[in-house]
Amino acid sequence: MFRLRLAPLLAAIVLAVGFVLLRVVYRVVFGGAGAGTGPVLLELPRLRLDGPFSHITLLGPITLVGLGNAALSALPVAAIIVFFGLLNAVINVQSLFARGAGRGPLRAISRSLVIAWATFPALLESVRHVRVARSLRGERSIASLLVPIFEQTIERALALAASMETRGFAATRVVTGVCEEPVVLRDVRLNFGAAPDKTGWHLDELNVTLKPGTLTVIVGATGSGKTSLLHSMSGLFQHFYDGVQTGTVNIGGADRASTPPRDTAGFVGLIAQNVRLGFTAETVHDEIGFALAVRNVTPSIVHARILQVAARLKIEHLVDRPIERLSAGEASLVAIAAAIVNHPILLLVDEPLADLDRAARDRVCTVLGQLAHEADVCVVIAEHNTKEFASIADAWLQIRGSQLHEVSAGEMQALSTAETLTPTPVAPRDFGTVPAVLLASIRRLSVRHRTSLVVDDVSFKVQAGELIALRGSNGAGKSSLLRAMALPTAADTVTVAGHDVHSLKRRTRRQAVALVPENFDDLLFAITVAEECRRANRTLAGADTAQTFAQLLGFDGVADAAHLLQRHPRDLSSGERLCLVIAIQLAARPALLLIDEPTRGLDLTSRALVSDALLKAASHSAAVIFATHDDDFARGLATRILRMEAGRLEVPIEVHS
Amino acid sequence: MTVIVSARRRIRWTSWILGSGSVLAAAAFAWPFFVAAVPADAQVAVPIVAFALIPALIVALTLTLDREMYTAKTVALLGVLAAVGAAVRIAGAGMGGVEAVFVLLILAGRVYGARFGFLLGLLTIAVSSLLWGGFGPWTPFQMFACGWVGAGAGLLPHWPKATPTAPRTQPASTAQAPSQPAYGEPTQRWHLPRLNAQSRLTTGTRWRGSLEIVLLAVYGVVSSYLFGLMMNLWFWPFAVGSGTGISYTAGADAGQNLASFALYSLVTSTLTWDTVRAITTVVGISLVGPAVLAALRRARLGPR
Repeated sequence: MFRLRLAPLLAAIVLAVGFVLLRVVYRVVFGGAGAGTGPVLLELPRLRLDGPFSHITLLGPITLVGLGNAALSALPVAAIIVFFGLLNAVINVQSLFARGAGRGPLRAISRSLVIAWATFPALLESVRHVRVARSLRGERSIASLLVPIFEQTIERALALAASMETRGFAATRVVTGVCEEPVVLRDVRLNFGAAPDKTGWHLDELNVTLKPGTLTVIVGATGSGKTSLLHSMSGLFQHFYDGVQTGTVNIGGADRASTPPRDTAGFVGLIAQNVRLGFTAETVHDEIGFALAVRNVTPSIVHARILQVAARLKIEHLVDRPIERLSAGEASLVAIAAAIVNHPILLLVDEPLADLDRAARDRVCTVLGQLAHEADVCVVIAEHNTKEFASIADAWLQIRGSQLHEVSAGEMQALSTAETLTPTPVAPRDFGTVPAVLLASIRRLSVRHRTSLVVDDVSFKVQAGELIALRGSNGAGKSSLLRAMALPTAADTVTVAGHDVHSLKRRTRRQAVALVPENFDDLLFAITVAEECRRANRTLAGADTAQTFAQLLGFDGVADAAHLLQRHPRDLSSGERLCLVIAIQLAARPALLLIDEPTRGLDLTSRALVSDALLKAASHSAAVIFATHDDDFARGLATRILRMEAGRLEVPIEVHS
Repeated sequence: MTVIVSARRRIRWTSWILGSGSVLAAAAFAWPFFVAAVPADAQVAVPIVAFALIPALIVALTLTLDREMYTAKTVALLGVLAAVGAAVRIAGAGMGGVEAVFVLLILAGRVYGARFGFLLGLLTIAVSSLLWGGFGPWTPFQMFACGWVGAGAGLLPHWPKATPTAPRTQPASTAQAPSQPAYGEPTQRWHLPRLNAQSRLTTGTRWRGSLEIVLLAVYGVVSSYLFGLMMNLWFWPFAVGSGTGISYTAGADAGQNLASFALYSLVTSTLTWDTVRAITTVVGISLVGPAVLAALRRARLGPR
C-alpha cells in the first residue's frame, strides 16, 4: 500500500511553482500588483476597459510589496498541490482499487480498473509492433499507427470478455451440472442467421454424445467451424457471437439455448485459442483464482484451491509471477489451471498447441490426457495439429462440408500422414536458362536484443530468381534476421541491387526490399479492402494492388474479386488477409520480398493458396525469402533452404540439382 | 413480463438519478455564482460543500450505473478503452498538453451510449491519475467534466437509417428504433454496410457516414470549449485570488462576476488550451473516426 515514487512529488512541485508564478502574472496584468507603499518597480499605464468589463483595469504600477503579496496569497493553494503530490508519492492508490475488484457494490467499475491496469503492458507491446509494421509499409499517417493498435485493443477486450464470461463473471444463477452426461447434441444445426459477414456457413445434423473421462478431438480445415462447434458447447456461440442454434444442446443437463456460459462456469471450463488475450488479472495467483473470486468464495479458500491446482499441474513456482512474464508454454498451463479450478465436468480446449514448441506441446498434451483419463473430465479439443494427440485421443470428429463425421484412430493416422507427406504440388521451375545474377548480399549482419545476440554475424548472397526458405526452430532468430534485412540499423550490411538499404529513403527502401511480418494484420488500417489497395497504389505510379490481390487469390481479374474489395479487411479469412498484405507490399515492386511464417495457423487449402501466391509473388519481384518451420512447405516450394540455429546461419543445403 | 417491467422501471429510475445528479454537479461546478444567494455567515462553507459534493456524486452515480454495466463485455471494453484513454492522455501531456483523449471519449460515447461514455470519462481520468500520480481535489472535477463529454456524445441525435436501396434486413432498421428496451441507451446493433458483401457502399450511406463524422467533429469543438469553461469555473477564485480586476468578489452582483470570469477564462484557456484541444479533436475525429467507429461497432454491446 505504501511505496515511494518521486515523480508525482516533483510534478506537484513544478505545478505549485507554476501556480504561484501564474498568480503573480494575473496580478500584474489585471492591476493588482500596486499595493503597499514600497518603491515602484515599474510604472505601467493603467488601461480601463469599458462595456460590461468597466470594473476591470489592466496593468498599473508594480511594487515589490504587491508582487510579494501576490506570491504569498498563492501559497495556501500551492501547499495543497504539494501536499497531494506527497500523498501520491507515498500511497499506492492502485492497490486499494485492486482490492475491491469483483465484489461489493462497485464490482463492475473496480474490475474495469483492474483490467485497464493489466492492459498497459499489452498496449505498450502493440505500440512497438505497430510502429515497426507501419515503417515496413512505408506509412507515416496517424491512422496507420492508431487504427491497428485500436483494433488490437478491441480484440483483446472481446477475448477478455469471453474468458470472463466462461469463468462465471456476472452470473445471476448457478446451475449445477450432471456428471453423467457432459455433452448431448441432438439434431443440432448451427449457423449465423442473417449476419452478413459469415455468409453461408452452417453445420447440420449434429448428433453427438460424449461421456465423462474421454478425450475427443475435433478436426477440420480452417473456417470449417471447429471453434464454432466447440463454442456451441461452451455457450459463447449462442450467447456471445450471435450464432443461431436449433435442436437441443445439453451440457451437463443444462439446456444451452437458455443457459448462458456465465451460469455454467461451475462445471464447464474453456481454454481459448490465444490464452494471453484472455488473462484478466495481473498475477498468476489471481488469474487462477478468478473463477472462484467472482463467485465470492472466501479468499483463504481461494488461496488454498489455487495452490492445490498449481500443485496438480506442477506450476507452483509460477504462482507469484506477474502474468506478462510467462513463456507461451507456461501461459497455456496457467490457462488450464484457471479453467479447472472449479473442477469442471467438461473441459473445452481451442487449438492449444498453435504457438508452442515441442517440449511445451508434450507437456500440455500429457496434462490434458491426465485430466481426461485420471480425473474423469470430458475433454474436447479443436485442433489441426493432430499428430500429438494420437496416443491419448479416444475419439476423433471431423468436419467435412457441413457435416460432422466420426473417424477411427486408424483412419486419422492415415489422414495425418497423408497430410504431412504430400507437399503442395509445385511445378519445378526451370533455372537453367536464368544466368546467376547477384541480387542482394547480406554482410556480417548482427542483431542485439538487450543483452543477447539474436542474429550473430550472418552473411549470405541472393541470386535473382531465387525462392529461399529460411528454416530453424523457435527463437533461432529467423524473424529478427528478416526484420534487420528490411530495416537495417547499420550501414553496408544489406545491399540490394547495388544499393545500401540502410542509406535509402523510406520510399526507395521499399523498392529494394519489403517485408510481410508475422503479425501482418498490423499493416492494415483502412475500412475496406478497396481503400487499402488505393493507399498502396500511392507508393508507386502505375501500381494496381487490387489486381495483384486478385491474382494472388487465383482470380482472373479484379471483377471476380469485387465482393472481397468491399469487405472490411479484418473480415477476410487469414489466408486472404495474408494475400492482401503481400499485394500491398508488392505495390512498391520490391526487388527482394521477405515473408515471415506465411503458413502459421493455415490449413491445407489455405496453404496451397499461399504457396501459389508465393510463386506469383516471386514473379513480381526478383527474389523471395520466407521463414517457416513447416518442413514440407519449405521443401515443396523453395529453390534453396537456409538453416538458422541460435542466431547463426548453418552451411546451406542445396535442394535443387 | 414482470421482469421486463421492473427492468424498465429501474432504467427510468437510473435516468432520473443520472439527470439530477448531473444538475447537482453542474451547480457544484458553478459554486462561485451561488455564494451570493447564501446567507453571509454560511458563505465560507460554499466551496467546501462543492468540493465534497462532487466526489459524493461520483460515488452515487457509479453505484447507480455499476449494476447496469455488470456484463463481461461491458466491463472488458470499459477497462481496455480506459487504458487506451489514459495512455493517450499521458502521451499527450508529454507532447506539450495536446489533449487527444476527447477523440476516444466522443467516439466510444457515440457508439456505446451516454452511460458508457460517462463511465469511460470517469475511468480514463482515474486511471491516468493513478498512473502518473496526479490525484488531488481537482481529480473529481476532471472526472465529471470528462464524463459529461462522453455522455454528451451518446446523446447526440441518431437519424433513421431507412435506405430503401440497400437490402439490409432486420439489424439495420430496428437498431435505430428510439424505444430500445432494457438497456436504456439506443444500443447500436446494426451491421455496418461494409459487412454486407452484396450491397455496395451506396452514396447514401457514405454521405451519412461523413455526416456523422462532421456531427461528431462539431460536437468535439463545442465540448472542448465547454470543458475548458467548466474547469475554469470552479477553480477561478483559487487561481486568481483576490485583489485583481478579474478576481471573484463574493459581494458583487452576478453581472460583474460573470464579466470577470469571461475575461479570466478567455486569457487562461479559451484562446490557448481549449483551442488546441478543439483542433486536436477535430483532426483526430476526421482522421481515425471512421475506422475507430467501425472497430467499436464490430464489438457491439447487446442487451443482456
